[in-house]
Amino acid sequence: MTRTWLRWMPAAVVPAVIAAGVLSGSLPASAGDPLPEKTPRQVLLMVAQHGEKSLSGTLEQTSQMGLPELPKAGAGSPETAWLELLTGPHTARVYLDGPEKARVQIMDRMAERNAVRNGDELWFYNSKDNTAAHAQLPADADGRHEARPGTATTPEELADKLLAKLDASTEVTVGTDVQVAGRSAYNLLLTPTSDATLVDSVAIAVDGETGLPLGVEVKARGQAEPAFSVAYTSLTLEAPDAAIFNFTPPPGATVEEIPVPDHKAAAALPPSDAAAAKAGKRPTVTGTGWASVLEFPAGAVALPGKAQGGAPDPATANPLRPGTSDPEGTRTVAAALLEQAAVAVPGGRLVSTSLVNVLILNDGRVLAGSVPLERLQAAATPR
Amino acid sequence: MTAAVPATELSIETTGLSKRFGHQLAVDGVDLAVPKGSVFGFLGPNGSGKTTTIRLMLGLAVPTGGSVRLLGEDMPRQLHGVLPRVGALVEGPAFYPFLSGAANLHRFDAADPHVPAATRKARVRSALERVGLTHAADKKVRAYSLGMKQRLGIANALLAPRDLLILDEPTNGLDPQGTREVRSLVRSLAADGATVFVSSHLLAEVEQICTHAAIMSAGRLVAQGTLEELRQGGQARIRVVTPDAGTAAEVLSRLGLSAATSPGGAAPGGGGVLYAPLPGAAGNGEAAPEAVVAALVAAGVRVRGFAIEQVSLEDRFVALTGEGFDVVQ
Amino acid sequence: MLCALAAIPILIAVAVRLSSSVPPGRGPAFLDRITQNGLFVGVTAMLVSVPLFLPLTVGVVAGDTVAGEAGLGTLRYLLVAPAGRVRLLLVKYAGAVAFAVAAPLVVALVGAGIGAALFPVGPVTLLSGDSIGAAEALQRLLLIAAYLAVSLMGLSAIGLFMSTLTDVPVGAMASTVVLSVVSQVLDALPQLEWLHPWLFSHYWLDFADLLRQPIAWESFLTNALLQGGYVAVFGALAYGRFVTKDVLS
Ligand SMILES: Nc1ncnc2c1ncn2[C@@H]1O[C@H](COP(=O)(O)OP(=O)(O)O)[C@@H](O)[C@H]1O
Ligand SMILES: [Mg+2]
Repeated sequence: MTRTWLRWMPAAVVPAVIAAGVLSGSLPASAGDPLPEKTPRQVLLMVAQHGEKSLSGTLEQTSQMGLPELPKAGAGSPETAWLELLTGPHTARVYLDGPEKARVQIMDRMAERNAVRNGDELWFYNSKDNTAAHAQLPADADGRHEARPGTATTPEELADKLLAKLDASTEVTVGTDVQVAGRSAYNLLLTPTSDATLVDSVAIAVDGETGLPLGVEVKARGQAEPAFSVAYTSLTLEAPDAAIFNFTPPPGATVEEIPVPDHKAAAALPPSDAAAAKAGKRPTVTGTGWASVLEFPAGAVALPGKAQGGAPDPATANPLRPGTSDPEGTRTVAAALLEQAAVAVPGGRLVSTSLVNVLILNDGRVLAGSVPLERLQAAATPR
Repeated sequence: MTAAVPATELSIETTGLSKRFGHQLAVDGVDLAVPKGSVFGFLGPNGSGKTTTIRLMLGLAVPTGGSVRLLGEDMPRQLHGVLPRVGALVEGPAFYPFLSGAANLHRFDAADPHVPAATRKARVRSALERVGLTHAADKKVRAYSLGMKQRLGIANALLAPRDLLILDEPTNGLDPQGTREVRSLVRSLAADGATVFVSSHLLAEVEQICTHAAIMSAGRLVAQGTLEELRQGGQARIRVVTPDAGTAAEVLSRLGLSAATSPGGAAPGGGGVLYAPLPGAAGNGEAAPEAVVAALVAAGVRVRGFAIEQVSLEDRFVALTGEGFDVVQ
Repeated sequence: MLCALAAIPILIAVAVRLSSSVPPGRGPAFLDRITQNGLFVGVTAMLVSVPLFLPLTVGVVAGDTVAGEAGLGTLRYLLVAPAGRVRLLLVKYAGAVAFAVAAPLVVALVGAGIGAALFPVGPVTLLSGDSIGAAEALQRLLLIAAYLAVSLMGLSAIGLFMSTLTDVPVGAMASTVVLSVVSQVLDALPQLEWLHPWLFSHYWLDFADLLRQPIAWESFLTNALLQGGYVAVFGALAYGRFVTKDVLS
């Protein structure tokens, strides 16, 4: 009956309209004038010259490197935090107002990690365990940066230098414009000339109007989706509300004071690094450019207690073990990740991601590089 | 059978109305014509399709075929214009058990956007009064007996002045007193000028209150008209009481009348009882009743009784719908 | 039903009050904050109710809308009144929506009330580490209740559609609740990541974005859009079904 069909019409039309809306919304918005053509040098120059010091925006980071996801915001320890940040998707809000005011909020589920800088004050806060860390920066911290010899280059010189440095190993081109956070951007493409690396290309989106870098995308060989990408999903180039940078730790929070090394000590190597270097534990580099391989001597990298043994100790390998902020726990998380991700290969074990391979040799040496396993193995065998 | 009535004078008119459930035709090509102002009995055994027909008339279900006109308007196209003028009781009453009788009526009345809310209270009260439920108005329906619910259902149909009342088995579950009350209620409604369409599986009920009737059997409409027309639809017959049943049957068949012995067996005095269609009726021979008696006597049949019987509506009903408890499928 | 929901924050508050102390970082988020600030009872109770209790009650109410009337037989009398099928459907959906609005509100307000009665009330620490006054905190609490109400719109529409499919209210209720559980299970499967943004339960827990400073409105908007889509699709389905349905109950 026609009447019956008419009444089912909305049920057919509504999903169709929604689908059409979603499709048209997800199409690359080609609206707006195309950006004027620019050479890679001109784009780099824009980046070097960009004067955007105030902004608020949302960053979206995804990675598909083939690593297992770590529990988010599991612990406040900086050693595992970077690993965790690399493995899962993240959303962060960024607020900048001049060089001295900044706030980054990593938005976890039901939790948030904050880093706030307001002048000399530096605060870290993790809502998961209600802990804060505070550091008082030396008063001249920024003056020193600007005064550092060798950095006082003009943007032009900087761009030229960078291009010259890249020239040997990398082809630098400008691809077709992209849309990032609703803005038209140049797509600066860095493609390694060497076949020996896992990196297929690096794309940097540069705002066509201001020269502000809006996103980075790293592609691995043989992978259609970017292995790693971070980009703004929204961006406002205005000074955020000044109140955002005022941070006082909430009542009841555990506050830890981070001692900041004074001027001279900071100029030298960090103590731990210096010690490591003295003990001959600094990494050595073989190969050049994208295909460089880092070799850490035995003992330089904290390995799980039973790294050589094979089977992980369940007590120490539990990534969800509470109290992971102590060094023991930190090692436990790293170890657990290692145990989960490592596969046995001749001569040791391999942690393989689409961008980086890490080879842990049975003798304790660790080799890492953005290269296939064979090259790590080749680098491991003494010539 | 039906006297030709202009379409505008019909309160309900269906043409070729059909409803199929799966492979079963519950209503099969029904052509009803319910004249305005009539009290129309809709007769049929259980499962013959009465309720389904009523659902189709009220737009609760969409016909598989055919059409319905209610109060001269197309259904279900003009549903919103027609239904406010129609009160209905369909397949027994149904209420919110946790609400009182009056609250239930309030709720149903509020569902109709066409009636004024201001007069609601008074209308509910008078409807309850009409069915004799005033004393139980504030009782939860959960505590109502079946008969009380039935009355409340009728009250719901009477919430507003109606031009047409469609009552599906209104006397179901009522005590004899209640049945009588419903009968007088129906009469008074008809006296007010409303058309009343009453379905029932009980012939006696229809015979007592209806001016018109239709008979359903297995989804088909097998007869309709005024009660008088329906009675005449059945033929009168002769009844012969005699001990010489064999000879009598021979005589009757010679006269072209096919006789049948009564299922009731012997008559008092050892005679048999014979029935035959009334002579003179179409195709039944030319003999007049008195000629039949003369022929019987001439043949030496000892006639102890002779009568011309009018068929009762009940016999007619049974003849049309079949006998016994088998629900027609 | 609302009383059962109100019992959740009361249970939580009493349990926390009676237990000695909650170690930070254990149990549902915010649980450890309750002893310092009673207003967190409302937040914790909403957090606890999101996966099951709210969808359960909303599923029961939405599943009962049409099927409940059909089951009682009152549907036919409403339709011959005549209530009008579209009007009836709209009124029924409005009823389900009213419940979806009231349910998180009850949890939030009862939670804040019992929290204020049993624990101190003071400035509230947000996820970002900033603190806001009790008055503003109450505002945030109401915002979260509004967020959850919006979150339940899609489920209400699904329940309404389910309710038009059957004359057995329990069937409609059960299938609605089961669907909400299925959606949450699918949302937890990393293999189906492409599907996650389309699941009606995907943003349910993102009400935490209202506890950041400044408020992150993106999830509120995305969620509202998604729920709107579900309401449109299942509303149209419910319309198609109910307007063509033979009422034989
Ligand atoms: N919902 C239904 N589904 C399938 N068959 C039905 C349904 N309702 C009624 N029927 C069938 O239709 C026929 C007529 O039923 P009904 O109209 O209720 O009869 P009555 O009211 O005359 O007793 C019956 O054979 C019954 O089995
Ligand atoms: Mg019936």
